[in-house]
Amino acid sequence: MSTSSGRLSVTIIGGGASGVLLAAHLLRNRDTDIRVTLIERRGEFGQGLAYSASQRDHKVNVPARGMSAFADDPEHFWRWLQQRGYPSSHGSWVFVPRRLYGAYLEHVLREAGKSNPGRLLVMSEEVMAVRESKNGIETLLANGTSVVSHSAVLAVGHETQPARSRGIAVRVGSERDTPLPADAEVMILGSGLSMVDAWLSLADANHRGPITVVSRNGLLPKGHRDVPPLSIDSADVPFGTSLPYFMRWFRDLVDETKKRGGDWRSVVDGLRPYNQRIWQSWSGHTKRQFLRHLRPWWNIHRHRLPPELHERLVAAVASGQVKLVAAEFVGVERAEGQVRAEIRRRGSSTREKLGVARVYDCGGVSVDVLSSSNPVIRDLVAHGRARADALRIGLDVNEHCAVIDHAGKVTEKLLVIGPLTRGRFFEIEAIPDIRVQAATLAARILSHA
Amino acid sequence: MGDIARRNNIPKKFLDAILSELRNAGFVYSRKGKAGGYSLARPADEIKIGHVDRVLDGPLAPIPCASKTRYQPCGDCDEATCQIRRLMLDVRNAIADVLDNTSLTQMCDMGGPEVLIAETMTA
Repeated sequence: MSTSSGRLSVTIIGGGASGVLLAAHLLRNRDTDIRVTLIERRGEFGQGLAYSASQRDHKVNVPARGMSAFADDPEHFWRWLQQRGYPSSHGSWVFVPRRLYGAYLEHVLREAGKSNPGRLLVMSEEVMAVRESKNGIETLLANGTSVVSHSAVLAVGHETQPARSRGIAVRVGSERDTPLPADAEVMILGSGLSMVDAWLSLADANHRGPITVVSRNGLLPKGHRDVPPLSIDSADVPFGTSLPYFMRWFRDLVDETKKRGGDWRSVVDGLRPYNQRIWQSWSGHTKRQFLRHLRPWWNIHRHRLPPELHERLVAAVASGQVKLVAAEFVGVERAEGQVRAEIRRRGSSTREKLGVARVYDCGGVSVDVLSSSNPVIRDLVAHGRARADALRIGLDVNEHCAVIDHAGKVTEKLLVIGPLTRGRFFEIEAIPDIRVQAATLAARILSHA
Repeated sequence: MGDIARRNNIPKKFLDAILSELRNAGFVYSRKGKAGGYSLARPADEIKIGHVDRVLDGPLAPIPCASKTRYQPCGDCDEATCQIRRLMLDVRNAIADVLDNTSLTQMCDMGGPEVLIAETMTA
């Protein structure tokens, strides 16, 4: 067991984007003597679910100018791109490959370690559990050893659910995603950004067969446009109201903006600084209403695609190769070398069966911590040391991101960063939001030094 | 409702208009019938005064040119050099800061006629 010395020590569990951003923020102030232990089971840092090499040429869905690791140094990523010889002819409103962003995060981590000799320790290990101890938090590793630190931060990020229907449906890029005949008919469940990734993988493999995209609403993500965000002030935003009231205000603002020759994207982006506050001002009832009825609609406007990609997708739909179906997915079974998917179209009471060569499950990321595939999360929840938030979309944390146990007691030394805190913050999935959270968390951890 | 109007000495019609706006915004709900009336839709400590004020009076702007979404120019000044406007933008932020961090419960604790309204509504 490693013991913690007198100096401040933090263990970060998870070395994806959230973990790396936090480590970088903790090590930014060279005057503070701190020991940061970053543990990642895959042994690749900065390459979580979103930015791993397996995503090949898939693009980041946020323009490069918004992707700096540091909110107070917005050009940081762009400068790094320039140093690597990335073409600057189109300016910083460009969408870079995701693996390039993964490489940037690796660079950020390396620099943080280099400029703070002896303060950053990275480990390739699987974390099995965390325990509160007298001196802080003990992090138990799969190899039987443990790390003791003053505090620990769960940065486990997104995790995908196992594909639905007893393993008949397939996750893109998984081992079972074997090559298909180019003219095979496939079905994709879900129509969000994960579907776009799946479609892109098929398109890049010159797939010619028909692709049926099934989702409850049949909504495609919208495309980006280079328009400035509307300047909105907190004094203007109707916090704490009912959903219909808020949506009326929002739609009126969009209409007014359009009348002045503006774009709806400016309103969506202008609201961004207030999204977490808006979410927190809502009642539990309003939050649930939003998740049930508005979330898909909000997602397609808020999480948009690079314009060229959006055009390609729209063209594929227009050509008939991609068919959008608004339907509920009922189930899937194997049948004569094929799989037969059962769906119920929206507004219809009858089910229908469609035979396809493969069903891809792009149902998005898992949100239920009770069925987490991550041992440390499962252990925390099973022992009542952590619990799901009231809406069951992440872990319950207080306003400072500290874990709340089954009895409502806060564990100040055990913190959470990133998407798992979405019950409290809702919009905490993209780099521009996570880097702000990393800065706040780092400041709070360092204030205990 | 008649009770609130009497105890606070405000016309019933005026109160009716206010309550109907508050109902539209989801701060209160109403029930018809003999045992009916208005109740708070959320616990009083969750309702922030600034949130209610935006619904009743629009953006928290001390003067119309200091609002961004309900902006109206003053007509008799040059905005780029108007010191008053710049000052009023700070005033606006200060107003929001106070009102958005004060709950209905806290306001009741301060006393005054609002206590009667809140007491009647939560009763």
